[in-house]
Amino acid sequence: MLEDVLAFAALPLAAAVIFTGIHTWLGLQVLRRNVVFADLALAQVSALGATVAVVAGHAVQSTGGYAYTLLFTAVGALLLTASRGLARSVRQEAFIGVLYVAATAATVLVVDRSPQGAEHVKKMLVGSLLSVTADEVLKFSMLYAAIGVLHWLVRRPLLAASDNTGATTPDRKTIFWDLVFYLSFGVVVTSSVGVAGVLLVFCFLIVPALIGTLFSSQIGVALLIGWAAGVAASAAGIFGSFVIDAPTGAVTVVAFAAALVIAGGVRAFITAPAEQLRHNRRRGLRASGLIVCTLLGISGLWVVVAPAADHPVLSAIEMATGGPERFLTPRERADYLDAAAVERRHKAEVDRLYDLERRSRWQGGELTADEVRRIGSVQQTLTEMGRGERFVVNYLRARARERERWYIGLPLAAFGFVGIAVIVWTTRRPQ
Amino acid sequence: MRSLGGARGPCGLRALFIFLAVSLAVLGALCAAQTAAAQGVRLVATTSDLASLARAVTGDLAQVETIIPPAADPEAFQPRPSDLAKLKGASVVARVGLGYDHWLDKLLQKHGDAAVNRGGPGYVDASVGIPLIEVKGRSLDATGRDGHAHGLANPHYWLDPANAEVMTGGIAEAVIRVAPELTEKIIANRDEFLDRLKARRNEWEQLLAPHRAARLIAYHNTWPYFARRFRLDIVDVIEVKEGVSPSPARLAKLAALIREQKVRVILHEPFEPEEASQLLARRTGAVVLKLAPSVGSMPDATHYLALFDYNVGALARALSAASN
Repeated sequence: MLEDVLAFAALPLAAAVIFTGIHTWLGLQVLRRNVVFADLALAQVSALGATVAVVAGHAVQSTGGYAYTLLFTAVGALLLTASRGLARSVRQEAFIGVLYVAATAATVLVVDRSPQGAEHVKKMLVGSLLSVTADEVLKFSMLYAAIGVLHWLVRRPLLAASDNTGATTPDRKTIFWDLVFYLSFGVVVTSSVGVAGVLLVFCFLIVPALIGTLFSSQIGVALLIGWAAGVAASAAGIFGSFVIDAPTGAVTVVAFAAALVIAGGVRAFITAPAEQLRHNRRRGLRASGLIVCTLLGISGLWVVVAPAADHPVLSAIEMATGGPERFLTPRERADYLDAAAVERRHKAEVDRLYDLERRSRWQGGELTADEVRRIGSVQQTLTEMGRGERFVVNYLRARARERERWYIGLPLAAFGFVGIAVIVWTTRRPQ
Repeated sequence: MRSLGGARGPCGLRALFIFLAVSLAVLGALCAAQTAAAQGVRLVATTSDLASLARAVTGDLAQVETIIPPAADPEAFQPRPSDLAKLKGASVVARVGLGYDHWLDKLLQKHGDAAVNRGGPGYVDASVGIPLIEVKGRSLDATGRDGHAHGLANPHYWLDPANAEVMTGGIAEAVIRVAPELTEKIIANRDEFLDRLKARRNEWEQLLAPHRAARLIAYHNTWPYFARRFRLDIVDVIEVKEGVSPSPARLAKLAALIREQKVRVILHEPFEPEEASQLLARRTGAVVLKLAPSVGSMPDATHYLALFDYNVGALARALSAASN
């Protein structure tokens, strides 16, 4: 099993490291150009190309499919290059937003003609990083290395063009280097989206670059920090998805977001200049206190006002201190525990019958249709009875919480609101 | 002879003309009646499987239409305005039920014709009378372990050919209720279809008999009825939650299970994402086999009987090849 875990993790991690390498560099330029959503727009235009290819009968990975995707990406790159000229009359970011929604809507309309369209759209969004193959990793490494070398050779005019974002009437040289950037950017995004999906590619592009710029304004240093953060977040996401048993793409996106929060914390509370450090720590402490007190105050008030509603904070307190049955009468407590036990028993019996029927599909004599109907009928009855017991448990828990609100809800609300008042008072007090 | 012949000639000719005219009139009336019936009975089925069974029962006596296109994922289907138009004027509506085609309820409410709404003479819930498996309860359950987030039980019951008897029975009854004049023909059509089905069932069961208790993995929990009929052991499914890709920990667990239980074939459906199945196949040496979950979802599965011809044939070949 451990061997499988490592085998399943190795290639996605290799792909993530390669993606981090090229996307961080491109992301830094995207941030300098102030066109953060250009990535999403271009990825969506390339997804539209891939969708048109699928509807036209080409597989996404085939030459035809890649040609369609590249053609659409080139058109997207041209539109993005042209968008700088629009900056006189309309904000470039607004144009990019319109391009994104138009490409998304067009994709939906195109896939409407394909029976497997919904699956295709979902795949474009979330990707399938886990199933990347060795051939794909090799292809990515060669393609991205070539683009990386090209960008390294022409880094000066590229960076000059990205610095020139304020110019509403760009000269021909700037337009040319903009086009080079968006075309190569489009090739990278097109290739990455097919494996990692639009959401994860956005993370690879923006989050490491943001983390890098948090710590340094020098592009070389920012790039190194971004690479380190991107690799760490990718590893945390991929291995984290094994640990918490959840889809890799979604966990990796969350890991990137967490990396950004941690980097922000490190920047504000550890590596900030000495004169800012004390100030930041004091403000951070106050903000955290304010958040915690507000949460406790509102939760306590919510328990007092609506004891039968959902109460995540109260549930956590109950879990730590022993369930709501402490606030029931002895008779109610016995009913509460009995209902919970009966519900568990019914569920166990439903599971036993499920296994019995499942085994009978291939073991021993085949069950007759009437025997299967009987099993189904008993399972249905037990499930409904179990839900009845669950209703009793919920009802008694609501009764307990009606009493609990005065012992826990009210003190919680008082603690929270007094805490808020103290924090606000100490903030306003003259130093 | 001549005079006789001459005397009888015009008479015989007239009689022949009269006979021909009467025959043509009767034939015309019969054709007109049949066309009227075909125009009169319009059956709309939510899936291609029900539509295929409806065609087997009604022959050319009814016009049969399908809502979900073949090869589309029925559990992710979103109806369009044109589907509402299909329901307009339908005399019979046949559905899978069990929450599988839950979107039909809203369409039927908008449609407003009581005859094809729940309880109406033209309403068919084909799941009624089926021996259901993996039953959960009457209420909706979002935490089902079988990969279906809705419904009473596993809804893929048409994949047991034995259930076609109950399904065609429900369809035939509804058609007879709305067009009683077709009773005899509908019953004859159904009997003829069930005879053919019985003969084919024996062939299918014989074809898979050498592979009894063969262990399989499926991407989606589509095949329990199929497994029950053909005595197969589906040890686990890849997609536990519908529409959510499996986690790497689950894939690692499945890879270990495939090796431990010597699973040779992974069942896959044409509209499902292939990556996870292919990844497991690469790691374990198992074969990914695409089966048709519905009529029309694979080119060879052109009708209900062909669906099993294809699925049983493909599975028997894959299992034989794997054991060799």
